[in-house]
Amino acid sequence: MADVDDGASAPVSEPLDLVRLCLDEIVFVKLRGDRELKGRLHAYDSHCNLVLGDVEETIYVVEEDEDEEETVRTIHKKSEMLFVRGDSVVLISPQAPS
Amino acid sequence: MATQLLPLELIDKCVGSKIWVVMKGDKEFSGTLLGFDDYVNMVLENVTEYDYSGGQTKLPKILLNGNNICMLIPGGEGPGTAAS
Amino acid sequence: MENGNLNQGEGKDPSAFLSEIIGNAVTVKLNSGVVYRGELQSIDGYMNLALEKCEEYVDGVKKRSYGDAFVRGNNVMYISAD
Repeated sequence: MADVDDGASAPVSEPLDLVRLCLDEIVFVKLRGDRELKGRLHAYDSHCNLVLGDVEETIYVVEEDEDEEETVRTIHKKSEMLFVRGDSVVLISPQAPS
Repeated sequence: MATQLLPLELIDKCVGSKIWVVMKGDKEFSGTLLGFDDYVNMVLENVTEYDYSGGQTKLPKILLNGNNICMLIPGGEGPGTAAS
Repeated sequence: MENGNLNQGEGKDPSAFLSEIIGNAVTVKLNSGVVYRGELQSIDGYMNLALEKCEEYVDGVKKRSYGDAFVRGNNVMYISAD
């Protein structure tokens, strides 16, 4: 039956349609400043402001020790719900829940 | 009254010829200007991308985002030839 | 004529270039230096992009692949037709 748009059936004609197809799905989000998020996409808007639930945040920190050797340290954080301001978004990708 | 050449008119005169683009950061491009829009997003052909480290990348055809452009030099061949 | 530029009727202004490369393999470089290669699904006026079969390269080294990826336009430095 031709159901009236829940978003999932409409074609991808502009980039944000790809984000629309991710609603209520687990998404991977790359942010400025070497940060990544994985969580369920509850809402988004045209600025790429996002509301994510059950979020896992990964932060990559480059540290230099006394020998001037650079090591990348990762910090993990979890949050129940968070708002992402669109201007820090670099990339959004649908990700199958693992 | 002096006839003045508007900035975008100058760029328009460059369409079809070589142009040298200096970005806000440590990056430069040279190539043939095929077209541009009001934001000075530019379509360039036979492009050389110059890295801050001196590295060069050849690109057949690109759309360059106007957002980070600092300076445009008509007829410019890029930093390499300018230095010699 | 549409936007005041002398577009020689060759269709070589940015929007013509974009419609020309939709569906093609492209290389997208971000201001951060990260490079994405993939098939250009769609693009809008902000240079937001949807890429299919997208591969991520950092310092020339492949880091990840995404089936689909949305890239926010403000990060884009250039889009190159492969």
